[in-house]
Amino acid sequence: MSFMQPSPVKYACSCGVLNPINKLFFCRHCPKLRCGLCVCHEIESHFCSNCLENIPSTEARHRKNCCANCFECPCCQHTLSARATTVPVVRKTEEPKDTKEGESVGGAAAAPAAPASSKPSAVPTTKKMYYLSCLSCRWTTRDVGIPDQGVATGTWPDNECLYQARFNTLVEYFQAVVLQDKQEKMDFLRRKAPKQPKFPSLTDRTGLTVSMIRRQIGWTEKTLPKPRPVITPAEATSEVEELPAEIFTEPLNLRNVTTIAQRHSQPAEQPTSVSKLYPQRRSLWIKRSLRCRQCEHNLIKPEYHPTSIKYRIQLFASCHVPEVVMVRCEQPLVAGKSNAILLKFTNPTMYDMTISLLTDAPSEEGEFNAENQGPKEEQDTATPVIKGVNLARQNSTREVTREVKDISNAPIVPLESEFVLSQRDDSKEFDEYVQLPTEEPKFIVWRKGNKVLIRLQFTPSEELSPNTDVVLGFFMQYTYVNTVTNASEKKEPTTHALHSRVFITAGTTEQKAN
Amino acid sequence: MELPDTYYSKDEYVETASGNKVSRHTVLCGSQNIVLNGKVIVQSGAIIRGDLANVRAGRYCVISKDSVIRPPYKQFSKGIAFFPMHIGDHVFIGEGAVVSAATIGSCVYIGKNAIIGRRCTLKDCCVIEDGAVLPPETTVSSYMRYTKKGTIEGGQGNPYFVPAAMQEEMINYTKSFYEHFVRTPAPAS
Amino acid sequence: MPQDNSKVKVMPKAVVCEESKLRGDITFSSGCVVHPSATVIAEAGPIIIGENCIVEEYATIAHRLAPGEEYDDNNILSIGTQNVFEVGCNVEAARIGDKNVFESKCFVGKGVSVSNGCVVGAGIKMIARQHLPENTVVYGEQALQREAIDKQGSQTLQIDFLRKVLPNYHHLRKPNYDPKKARSVV
Repeated sequence: MSFMQPSPVKYACSCGVLNPINKLFFCRHCPKLRCGLCVCHEIESHFCSNCLENIPSTEARHRKNCCANCFECPCCQHTLSARATTVPVVRKTEEPKDTKEGESVGGAAAAPAAPASSKPSAVPTTKKMYYLSCLSCRWTTRDVGIPDQGVATGTWPDNECLYQARFNTLVEYFQAVVLQDKQEKMDFLRRKAPKQPKFPSLTDRTGLTVSMIRRQIGWTEKTLPKPRPVITPAEATSEVEELPAEIFTEPLNLRNVTTIAQRHSQPAEQPTSVSKLYPQRRSLWIKRSLRCRQCEHNLIKPEYHPTSIKYRIQLFASCHVPEVVMVRCEQPLVAGKSNAILLKFTNPTMYDMTISLLTDAPSEEGEFNAENQGPKEEQDTATPVIKGVNLARQNSTREVTREVKDISNAPIVPLESEFVLSQRDDSKEFDEYVQLPTEEPKFIVWRKGNKVLIRLQFTPSEELSPNTDVVLGFFMQYTYVNTVTNASEKKEPTTHALHSRVFITAGTTEQKAN
Repeated sequence: MELPDTYYSKDEYVETASGNKVSRHTVLCGSQNIVLNGKVIVQSGAIIRGDLANVRAGRYCVISKDSVIRPPYKQFSKGIAFFPMHIGDHVFIGEGAVVSAATIGSCVYIGKNAIIGRRCTLKDCCVIEDGAVLPPETTVSSYMRYTKKGTIEGGQGNPYFVPAAMQEEMINYTKSFYEHFVRTPAPAS
Repeated sequence: MPQDNSKVKVMPKAVVCEESKLRGDITFSSGCVVHPSATVIAEAGPIIIGENCIVEEYATIAHRLAPGEEYDDNNILSIGTQNVFEVGCNVEAARIGDKNVFESKCFVGKGVSVSNGCVVGAGIKMIARQHLPENTVVYGEQALQREAIDKQGSQTLQIDFLRKVLPNYHHLRKPNYDPKKARSVV
């Protein structure tokens, strides 16, 4: 199974971590491979994964990153769904039926007992009332005595926790502290380095972007130092309430005791009894955009809308780097016995590629050798690094290039020549394929469109004990035609000779044949 | 890893003009209510309950062995109704999965023995792990992965749970699954 | 599968699809709905399924032989009324009361005794010898248990619908056993 299973073919990212190609990105501006670890993650948009509503970031902050309409079951953390019941508004009996969105069945005598009912009281009234129910564990809001509501969303009460007021003053106080702290730091730095960071921060501790913007425009500051709210420090007491007597006498019913997960989902209260479980607001999700740390270009930028699956910028490695797919080994893997592996190469780009497989790093482009020279720090071209300036920026401007650990244990026999992968042409899929009688190197098994199957010989090393993974490693050098250039004067596409290091786990060795 | 060829015998599978390959050992109830939009593979032991409501599957879907596609029902005060079920293009439904979703978007991967409860909504490009259990009325939005543990992970742009290029991955996967689902070659006489 | 048709008793108003696999002495009370590809195996003794039960596709209800046990006509597995056996569940419970729901792909072993109004969640395996008290809900990946406030809603509406629809698409087993007649004989 191709992508749900760990892929046997791994590419070394430019940060030195091995990844399958579907987790890699390709920065066209650098041009290098990037993985999730060596890019800068930014929040693109907030949304609720249940109601798929897009929520602007300021509103998300205001709502403490929770959806206004969707609730989580306090019992099993699954989403609650609203159930409707038709309640005949009768004087005495109230008989809720487990129904949903049904036509109201005619009730008996009307009574103006319900406050929300706008109908004239003379008409026999039935009212639709809603309660929340979990379809996984059958928890309902009725279990804890939350009254049914007349509207499905929006009116559910928030359970205020005991310490809310105290908490609010603390938040206010520490916001002021952080603000002042930052202010002083900014003032200090403004005198030294006038440069402003380009991007708002994600890790901003208190969420003070508005004030940041004010500052950037150049308003304010002096008005800010207002008196700090006074807080009283908490005091520890040695007097603890006695355990209730029942705890020793009453048998414990475990079903009424909350689990750790249930307590943690309600951190303010941490109830010990299931009768104190209240629905929790669902937290929001984000779409991320990924940014290259070196050139600060976006690698991934999703469409804003929660239901959209498109990207505005998508630089997947699988669209730029030739894909290597392992087909099979010709023989069972035995240590010290030469073998051959069939590999399928696919060219995803619109330009022909020339590929060669090398055992050593190609040296024509000096900078690429970096990965063989051990850890090395590359200075970024952008801002000078001053400790502390980067308060507003998560990305480090340095890139630590780890050495790619050579895990291969089966030397390959290099191909005698390079080969050409023709460009991708989606229309070819529908054409009658005609085999052109071309002179092909011997190692090419077949060729179709932008795909080539090659045969690569290798020998698992002698020392391998049985049942160890056989790993092949090589440098794949390929020509890449870059349609974007950093230099503005050059408009025509430039061709680079790039290379990436590829490791293939061919399988496990078998018992040596006697 | 390149998908290995899966062979089927000529006698077992029916191939329609639009390229659907449907095993004879399936239970397709109410087949007039089942629409397979072409190049859909339905493997042996699968059950599609077209008798309860319409089932429509897009192109290049794979409905694996022993899975059950069952339109969801909803209870009203005066009775129940089964809702039609829509499955998008390039959807893979793993072996033994039970699917009662209301809608399934395109490029969705449903793992082996997953259980999709009634009236769930699976948006485009989401992944349901093997053995995951989705309670009824769950929504899994795009680029989310529903885990076996019952949590939802990922999100668009998060490369760790669902591949960023999920759409292309699923298109390639289902297409190559179809291409590698071939008739057993006739024995050389 | 070779079917021992003679011993399957279907009471009037029960809807039992012919494509289901039934083995042994099984009685379907009136109002039962058995979907195609469901399996009921009466190995250790007769099974009597109460009124208004639903048995969905690939569900298996089995009355299994314990090691060393032989088929015994008096060893009756009596299943209560209004139970739902959802797709792919495998129920071998020793006792099943009324109004229970066995969700998709759950497994309930022989040592389990299920009372009334219980729900065994999807994909949950219950093997240990235990008794589920009334209104128990077994849920989640860790098979936690809790007590529901209320019994599960009745399935009569669904049964009404299925009783209307299924005969249009499936061959059904003819009702062959009328309790009234049987009573008159006795």
